Amino acid sequence: MKRRRRTEILINGSRTLVEQLAQTIADNYRVKVIQEPEHGLVMMKVRETSKKSLFYLGEAFVTECKVQVEGVVGMGIVIGDQQDLAYKLAIIDAAIEAQLAETDEWSKLLESEEEKILKARKLEDQSILKTKVQFETMDVS
Amino acid sequence: MGYVAVKGGTLAIEESIKRLKYERIQRGQTIEVGRIQAGMRGLIDQVMSESSLYDEALAALAIKQAEGNPEEAVFLLRAFRSTVPRKHYSKVIESQDMKVERRISASFKDIPGGQILGATTDYTHRLLDFQLMTETDNSVQEWLHHYLSEKSDQELSGELKLPKVLDYLRKEGLISPCENNDREPDDVTRESLEFPSTRSQRLQVLTRGQTGAVTSFAYAVIRGYGDLHPTVGELRVGKLPVTVAPPASEENDVENDYYIGGVKATEVEMLMPFTVEKEYGKKEMEFEIGYGLCLGQNETKAIAMGILDHCLEHPNLEFPSHNEEFVLYHIDSVESTGFISHLKMPHYVTFQSKLDSVRKTRKAAREEVKNG
Repeated sequence: MKRRRRTEILINGSRTLVEQLAQTIADNYRVKVIQEPEHGLVMMKVRETSKKSLFYLGEAFVTECKVQVEGVVGMGIVIGDQQDLAYKLAIIDAAIEAQLAETDEWSKLLESEEEKILKARKLEDQSILKTKVQFETMDVS
Repeated sequence: MGYVAVKGGTLAIEESIKRLKYERIQRGQTIEVGRIQAGMRGLIDQVMSESSLYDEALAALAIKQAEGNPEEAVFLLRAFRSTVPRKHYSKVIESQDMKVERRISASFKDIPGGQILGATTDYTHRLLDFQLMTETDNSVQEWLHHYLSEKSDQELSGELKLPKVLDYLRKEGLISPCENNDREPDDVTRESLEFPSTRSQRLQVLTRGQTGAVTSFAYAVIRGYGDLHPTVGELRVGKLPVTVAPPASEENDVENDYYIGGVKATEVEMLMPFTVEKEYGKKEMEFEIGYGLCLGQNETKAIAMGILDHCLEHPNLEFPSHNEEFVLYHIDSVESTGFISHLKMPHYVTFQSKLDSVRKTRKAAREEVKNG
């Protein structure tokens, strides 16, 4: 599983899974902190749909952390003040980049978490879809 | 105007700051930041948009410190923002990827994917709800439990990643087609605005403009101080996914990017009928889009931004609203409130010199009358 999908599952899913994956690595390897979790900004670049050009919408406040596991650097970055989550995301990122044996089973766990997220989202979508409206124009004659 | 520093008053200023704190807490109660976040969504969204900083907790803290005064809260957040390093630029965010929570069109009744009202005050009676006077945590939790366990008799079909309403007009050739323009945007927070401005500068200044100012200028356009007759083509509110590229990465594999979370935003595409001159002087009506996009759910501001975007794309010195210098220099919250409120700071020397001039003129006039 590639990073874009993986990080979305980890950030939007249960914190228990993040905890479990990071702990597995921390229990078996030395985690060297390259950059303590620290705050920063991400400038958001958007495409407008009138002329399809780019502009800056504003900045998102983020927490970023970098660690090294088995000589490979991993980064954790997430919107908001989430220092513990950024640290654990960095460990998971490093472990996967280093192709550690422990990560072999992670795809299944991530896919199962993704299913839970989709199920919860579907429920929420149902409540939003209840507000779908069919307007009818009235005769004015 | 020249400035002359004043000194003195340290003790009085310290006492004044204490007095300010006293005013904030004099009832012996405090409001937790979490409660502001829980119950002041509208103000938080306005403050985040005007500060151009997305973080609900920081916005709530600024609102608490500013005692709910948005101009002061925006000032605090802008100042805070300037102390935090910018670590990344996001990958290009496309609004078609928005997970929609609300999406309507005032131009078309039947749109692909349907009109989704979502959360809106549009169809509420503006009557004060006195029951809120006695609302408790228990009562809201009970309501939530009930609401979240409500089930429909049948599963409602529908997607919340929806096609753009205006694609329909594009396909019909009623909106001129255009290709993606990937020119890197200018950034008014790094380089001061200069005229003529670029499109990216204009949109950035509009999106972080003060809600009231942006709305009032756009209202003036429609009342006659401008040349536009707009309709909302599409308004959508929802979460935009934000991703960043791996550091020092040469490859451009979007699947390898970091997803960092979603930000709530309001996007509006305003439709403006426009006469275009074609070959042999033939005139044809087409539609143009005025574009609005704001952080948070800020619908009035996003609509107003769309109107002003279109005005500034068509400069016309007959109308102030079509004059980029007039609009862009006066809608920023910190700049306008900062300048106006600085007028109450000591201006003793400049005022004394004005007073001297007035006295001298009067004296000269009196002497002229006396001497016949």
